[in-house]
Amino acid sequence: MIEIKNLSKSFKSHKKEPGLKGSLKAVFHREEITKLALKSIDLSINKGEMIGLIGANGAGKTTLVKILAGIVHPTSGSATVLGHIPWERPNEYRRQMSLIMGQKNQVWWDLPALDSFLLLKEIYQIPKNQYQKNIDFLADTLMIKDQLKTQVRKLSLGERMKIELMAALLHNPQVIFLDEPTIGLDLSAQKAVRHFLLEYQKEFSPITILTSHYMEDIKELCPRVAIMKEGEIVFDGPLAEVQRMLGDEKVISVTTDVTTFKIHIPRENLASETQHLFQKHNVVDLNIQDPPIEEIIESLMKGGAP
Amino acid sequence: MKSWWKDVMAMEFRKILAYRSDFWITFLGQMFIQLLVTISLWHSVFKENNVTSMQGLNLEMLALYYLVANVGMRILWGENIGFISREIYEGTFTRYLLYPISFFQYKTVSYLSYSLFYSLQLFIFYWLYQLFFGTSDLSFTHLYYLILGIGIFLTSSLLFLTLAFMVELISLWADNVWTLMIMLRFFVTFFGGGFIPLNFLPHWAQEILAWTPFPYLINLPVRTILGLSHHTEIIKGIFFILAWTLILATFVKVIWSRGQKRYTGVGI
Repeated sequence: MIEIKNLSKSFKSHKKEPGLKGSLKAVFHREEITKLALKSIDLSINKGEMIGLIGANGAGKTTLVKILAGIVHPTSGSATVLGHIPWERPNEYRRQMSLIMGQKNQVWWDLPALDSFLLLKEIYQIPKNQYQKNIDFLADTLMIKDQLKTQVRKLSLGERMKIELMAALLHNPQVIFLDEPTIGLDLSAQKAVRHFLLEYQKEFSPITILTSHYMEDIKELCPRVAIMKEGEIVFDGPLAEVQRMLGDEKVISVTTDVTTFKIHIPRENLASETQHLFQKHNVVDLNIQDPPIEEIIESLMKGGAP
Repeated sequence: MKSWWKDVMAMEFRKILAYRSDFWITFLGQMFIQLLVTISLWHSVFKENNVTSMQGLNLEMLALYYLVANVGMRILWGENIGFISREIYEGTFTRYLLYPISFFQYKTVSYLSYSLFYSLQLFIFYWLYQLFFGTSDLSFTHLYYLILGIGIFLTSSLLFLTLAFMVELISLWADNVWTLMIMLRFFVTFFGGGFIPLNFLPHWAQEILAWTPFPYLINLPVRTILGLSHHTEIIKGIFFILAWTLILATFVKVIWSRGQKRYTGVGI
């Protein structure tokens, strides 16, 4: 169970004017700026839930995940994960939690993955039988068995991500934080990672928080989403509700003999607008759909709370 | 000994051996260049002053002092500069905050793995030396002094590690502490007897230095290996090493408790 109340975080950084003059000036004086990354976040996640955190760059998704994983201290507010305060980092909590960051390596670069796994086995005190069982399950599901003895730095990006996933899940965590696990991967690797995460969720039912810029990740994995904008959660609910929120609208894709275009129209005008299109254009093909989830979320992120 | 300690050590050994050419080139290259520079430099000094020994050390003993000091300093330095600050800068430091173990224990074990590995170089050096000069009348050490000296080097490594922790953790405030680490190594080398044996310094300077951590980091273990330290001096030195380690560890604790709140986990 995750409970977050009034959680805020601000970061301080320095501003530097561009060019040599700016660099020289910064040697003596730097202007400090404070950025509010999280603004009084409230969120509650139940056991076995998988929630997608979405938002534009700088919305605060990664900061929230880092606080819950205990690596960043909040400025104010409270949070408990499995009854622990994450940033106090009790070992009991760390044994039950995992953080996977798509852009960061956590296994040792210069060694084969199995060497890192052996160390993790000792660090997390995984019994020998359990360790072997987990290695087999993870390597089979991720189809990475042949790469376990190769130096990690020599693996492809997709293979490295799979190794990171294996390393993070070796100790069967009850809470998993996935920060853009498919970033930079090609389509087939993205699909494989998504498939694996789905299988893992079915098998072990951990609490999972996933941040991603790829809507496919969210659509396939997360029944619930929280949309963040400028450090605030502007929507928290089932993914299906997001679609229903703008369900009064339909999108018509039209192909005429000269061009192709899309129009958004209110549902009640659907019949008259379609008729009008046929009268006005030489329509070759016409397709009526609900607005894509990406567009709805984008409009929510731009427009603020619905 | 915790079960993961030996795995961390084994992993660090594997990391060193992953680049074994670097191990040999650095070791042998450094040893021969050092030998050449030291002998030619001190030969000129002796010739210029028309003497055969200085502060009780003849040219051969001085050369030996520098060679042992140089190989010994690798034990002291352990991991490379930036073994914490680089990870903070790159964001890979995050992994130590996630593992259910003490970050300091992990880094200490990892650091000592390097120190232990470089101790092996000192044994190789001893063996090479005995092979080439063992029959000459150069008064190189007995194996007992070598083992005792390496033991002191390993103990003083803990003191240097505590100093390094203090400086490296400053990177939680300032992104780049490379220069500070270079300065630390310079001070340790200069005041520790890595550049010149400390008995070449004026008496008053030696007396002041005796109250600082520096002479126990290089001068004491090197003199022990060369059989120049008596047991009282060694026991007193070990006491100072442990006392300074405890004092500095208190500072490290304060720096860590404040600094960890500033960690953002960003990096390359």
